Amino acid sequence: MSFDYSQELPVIEGKNTFAEITDVISKPLETRPNKKYYIALAISVSLLLFGATCLMLTFIYGTGMWGNNNPVGWAFDIVNFVFWVGIGHAGTLISAILFLFRQKWRTGIARFAEGMTIFAVMTAGLFPLIHVGRPWLDGWLFPYPNQNALWVNFTSPLLWDVFAVSTYFTVSFIFWYVGLIPDFATLRDKTVNKVKKVIYSIVSLGWRHSNRHWHHYEMVYLVLAGFATPLVLSVHTIVSFDFAVSILPGWHTTIFPPYFVAGAVFSGFAMVQNVLIFVRKIFNYEHIITLDTLEKMNKIIIVTGSMVGYAYAMEFFIAWYSGSPIEVFTFVNRAFGDYAWAYWTMVSCNVLFPQLFWIKKIRRSIPLMFTIGVLVNVGMWFERFVIIVTSLSRDYLPSSWGFYTPTVIDTGILIGSFGFFFTWILIFIKTMPVVSIAEVKSVITGGQPTHHGDAQ
Amino acid sequence: MDNRNLYSVTGLFDTPDEIVQAVEVVQKEGYTKYDVNTPYPVHGLDIKMKLPPSKLGYFALVLGLTGAIGALFFMWWTMSKDYPVVIGGKPFFAFPAFIPVTFEVTVLLASVGTVLTMLFLYFRFPNLSHPLHDTDYMKSVSLDKFGISIEAEDSLFDVVRVKNLFEKLGAKKISEINFDEEFDKKPKIFEPKFIVFLIFTAIVISGASYFTLNKLLYMDPFNWMMEQSRVMPQSHSKIFKDGFGMRNPVPGTVARGSMPYLFAGQPDTAGEKLVNPYFPDERTLSLGKKKFNTYCSPCHGSFAKGDARLNGQFPNPPSLHSDKVRNWHDGRIFAVITEGQNIMPSYSQQLTPDERWAVVLYVRALQRAVNAKEDDLK
Amino acid sequence: MSDTGFTLDYQKKELPVKAKYAGLAFTVLGLIIVIVSYITNPERTAYNSIIGSTFVLSIGVASLFLIALEYLAGAVWSVVFRRITEFLSAVIFIVPILALPFLLNMHSVFHWSQADVVAKDTILAGKSPYLNETFFFVRLAVIFIIWGIFYFIFIGNSKKQDITMEQSQTKRNTIFAAIFMPFFGITITIVAVDWLMSLEPHWFSTIFGVYYFSGSLMAALAATTFAVVRLADLDMFGVKIKSDHYYSLGALMFAFTNFWAYIAFSQFLLIWYANLPEETYWFINRWEGSWKFITLGLIIFRFVVPYALLLTQPSKKDPKRLKIAAIWILFSHYYDLYWLVMPNYSKSGIAFSWNELGYPILCAGIIILIFTIRAKNTNLLPIGDPRLKRSIEFHL
Repeated sequence: MSFDYSQELPVIEGKNTFAEITDVISKPLETRPNKKYYIALAISVSLLLFGATCLMLTFIYGTGMWGNNNPVGWAFDIVNFVFWVGIGHAGTLISAILFLFRQKWRTGIARFAEGMTIFAVMTAGLFPLIHVGRPWLDGWLFPYPNQNALWVNFTSPLLWDVFAVSTYFTVSFIFWYVGLIPDFATLRDKTVNKVKKVIYSIVSLGWRHSNRHWHHYEMVYLVLAGFATPLVLSVHTIVSFDFAVSILPGWHTTIFPPYFVAGAVFSGFAMVQNVLIFVRKIFNYEHIITLDTLEKMNKIIIVTGSMVGYAYAMEFFIAWYSGSPIEVFTFVNRAFGDYAWAYWTMVSCNVLFPQLFWIKKIRRSIPLMFTIGVLVNVGMWFERFVIIVTSLSRDYLPSSWGFYTPTVIDTGILIGSFGFFFTWILIFIKTMPVVSIAEVKSVITGGQPTHHGDAQ
Repeated sequence: MDNRNLYSVTGLFDTPDEIVQAVEVVQKEGYTKYDVNTPYPVHGLDIKMKLPPSKLGYFALVLGLTGAIGALFFMWWTMSKDYPVVIGGKPFFAFPAFIPVTFEVTVLLASVGTVLTMLFLYFRFPNLSHPLHDTDYMKSVSLDKFGISIEAEDSLFDVVRVKNLFEKLGAKKISEINFDEEFDKKPKIFEPKFIVFLIFTAIVISGASYFTLNKLLYMDPFNWMMEQSRVMPQSHSKIFKDGFGMRNPVPGTVARGSMPYLFAGQPDTAGEKLVNPYFPDERTLSLGKKKFNTYCSPCHGSFAKGDARLNGQFPNPPSLHSDKVRNWHDGRIFAVITEGQNIMPSYSQQLTPDERWAVVLYVRALQRAVNAKEDDLK
Repeated sequence: MSDTGFTLDYQKKELPVKAKYAGLAFTVLGLIIVIVSYITNPERTAYNSIIGSTFVLSIGVASLFLIALEYLAGAVWSVVFRRITEFLSAVIFIVPILALPFLLNMHSVFHWSQADVVAKDTILAGKSPYLNETFFFVRLAVIFIIWGIFYFIFIGNSKKQDITMEQSQTKRNTIFAAIFMPFFGITITIVAVDWLMSLEPHWFSTIFGVYYFSGSLMAALAATTFAVVRLADLDMFGVKIKSDHYYSLGALMFAFTNFWAYIAFSQFLLIWYANLPEETYWFINRWEGSWKFITLGLIIFRFVVPYALLLTQPSKKDPKRLKIAAIWILFSHYYDLYWLVMPNYSKSGIAFSWNELGYPILCAGIIILIFTIRAKNTNLLPIGDPRLKRSIEFHL
């Protein structure tokens, strides 16, 4: 018997004292960064600068620098937008949905995943802003009384996106910050550095670990989780509406909302898993972010990957079942047309490779799970590419068919977005506790009273 | 010992079990003004402390409903009242299409509002300073101890009694917490310091917005698409031999809808042959008036008396009320507008033939107004 | 020996005979109405049998799903009443019998099964490789065989564990639960497409399987909740069902109420917005004449009422409230299926008379009857389950 079902598995390995937890989590904040950190920072900032250069060229010469042209008016910009918004979803799923499901294993990874959500949404937010072509008019996205006496179009899914993404960012940020307050207080009481003390005193908002506060704090956390859960579903749902309310074959299909959400969680988990593998190694968090936790994440990757596979199959089946020749053509074209290579990359990375996680050895092997995680993200990026580009390049009128080829600038901005994202991540891991100190303390062995009050 | 500055007596415990037991006893003893400080929320403590359920959920509900109703009302007003536009054949109040935004605003308002309520109402923001801060007690509960602090204000409070109680409960460390000045529980929200802080924040935010909206967005490269690889009007172009960017139409080009003018250089023939296709009705006269006031009145004057403000700068334009003009056929006047006369240039670029006829009718009306006949008065 | 290290002082209590008689009475009454209705109007009864059989099927197969989910997720809180879900899952075996009226009247219910209609209709002819009678029955048989196999694996292992007290049964069931999941996804989609979507054979919607799934899960949870509250009232478990257990059940029903609304809204919005004639007519049929009120009622009955009933934290912990909510959700699930099926029978307006009463009564009766029969010889608590102790002591 390898596994005892009658015992609750500890989420945090080993016997830790509360002080040890505080020490190990706050250590990166109290030590100077080492050489490896600077190398990592240099790489990501270089990528960022490369992307910034490409972006500057776009601003100066216009979106003509991109490969977008009739009929493919949406391409890398929107692909990247959807990709990055999707990455963000795992964070809210871990912090809110798993919180509501009382999954204790989330405690070790929740803070980091929430941080990732914020940075991913920031990265994603850049793309619609540059995609409009005239970034100085981005303010027009919001409804405010203006000289033109015009209002935004509330029936447009693109506007719903504005509301969804900005709400998502705000709520994620608040959620993240509320979680950080007790940790800032702990750091405030721990630090000996005067400047840090002032900063931590301000951001901890006078927190004093009072149970009269914890009481309300836990309620707020529950309320926020309760709101963040439908919010996270709504965000990618609305992103899917961008496509699905249209009548373009390949975009207009009713399964898009849940399918996009599943895909978003899928890619997000792969990204969290990838980055956490480094974080736990570098900061010696192997006992907090345990192999069991990573294994559970891999299980979620299979589940969501299979949901995505279900959606692919359903789309194909219904395209045939509908009897509409245009629908049939669209899907045959996806699989065997000009972009067949992208389609098969997507199917193999999203549906086939994650199935390897059925094997326990692979689920628990760091290098293999890392590789599969990377492949999943490649696959999910290509999924958006396939949806957007193949459908646009072949619409109803054969006379307006075209072929899209990205330019160097397109690719540069994509690379730059990774630089942007990872630069934020690197700053984050050195300035804030990447694991929630208070939450981890509450789940270690001996962290809760043995006979606590019966909640009646 | 002067107890005037004593805030509370605190005891520290090592394990969650001990603190739960301690709270139970303290509660039973009848203390009400006490607080428990733990590095994380210990399960069941709020029940032992007999704290009433948090009301924050209801705040969230009310705020969420406000958001939902507000968003729906706003969309109804903008989309079907203030500026109704038919979009995609949907009704002005396209309810299903308004649900996503309604939902987002609901969530936004409820989440932000609930957190702010917690901060202001329960954490008493901005009253952040507290006697417990910066004490060894706080440092311990921040790290790994579980503390209980009974305040001096409690009616049952007595230093010795409380200390004995803590000792009996097995507290590892018992200490008194003092504060330097009078501990002020009044809300600090109206204190000058806080108001100055708010004003400062407001200035910074509005300054930054002003800079972004009025300066940054006009700096390079945000140049409103001025810089484009196109030929600007009046500019040089290397493509053509003559170097002109602006081109004339190919000879023989006929514009859409253009009718040839058959009487070029023959104004008198035009006067005889051309017939005004319009009758003086309200539509033509108001069009003629508009065009006359725009193009003719600067020289001929508002009433065609030749008395415009440009009088004296050029050879004065004649009055149009002379017998000569009054006796001209409509076609003759049309010819003048089309081709010009003496110093007057052609207005064929500014006025379409229809508009010219309208102007002619308007001039006739002006002439009639100046030289009214007897029977006009009837 | 027991390697769970935990022995429970469990005394099996018999369900009150009242339950059995009630079930029997309902079944007989329902059966009489159905038979009379079938004799007088076979077509109408066929449509009703689709509603009834998909209703019972959704409770059965979604219960099977809940069992598998419990094993896969390693959920602890629901172990106490896993047996309830197991009993409920037994109802799948009665479904083919409930479905007889429409299986015997395929031609009057499914247009695609009429050869002359298909011959004139190119679209239906194109679908005929999938929508033909032979393949339909092959699928049906395969689906029920698959469910039957998994039923016997899950329930067999679970029952065996009561005697063996070994953990290996839990492990085996966990593995089979993982295998079951993909089968479940495919089979429930096929049922949704075959039995419900193909009633309107030209219409298509990729989300339809998920729609049926979301409603089914709501129904299975509601049935479980109702049984748990009822049996706890009678003190059948022998252990205390705590408010934390109720809270979890209530929260899940609440969550799936929202999930159903989300799926239903997504399907509607996308079709309404794109306004393609080949899709919109399905909703227009349900907006024609008096069907409009049924459609509006669906929003209120299936979303607004359960949402309001279960919104606050105290209401999720209150067994009385949960019982009302559970009955309401079961009713609204039947209502939803009625909304899906009946507009195909009567295009002009609501069709409701005594013919429609037979199946709801029969379904209620047969579910209670099967439940009592299954509960007769089986422990109400999975006493051998290694997670049971933690489940009884479960707290949020």
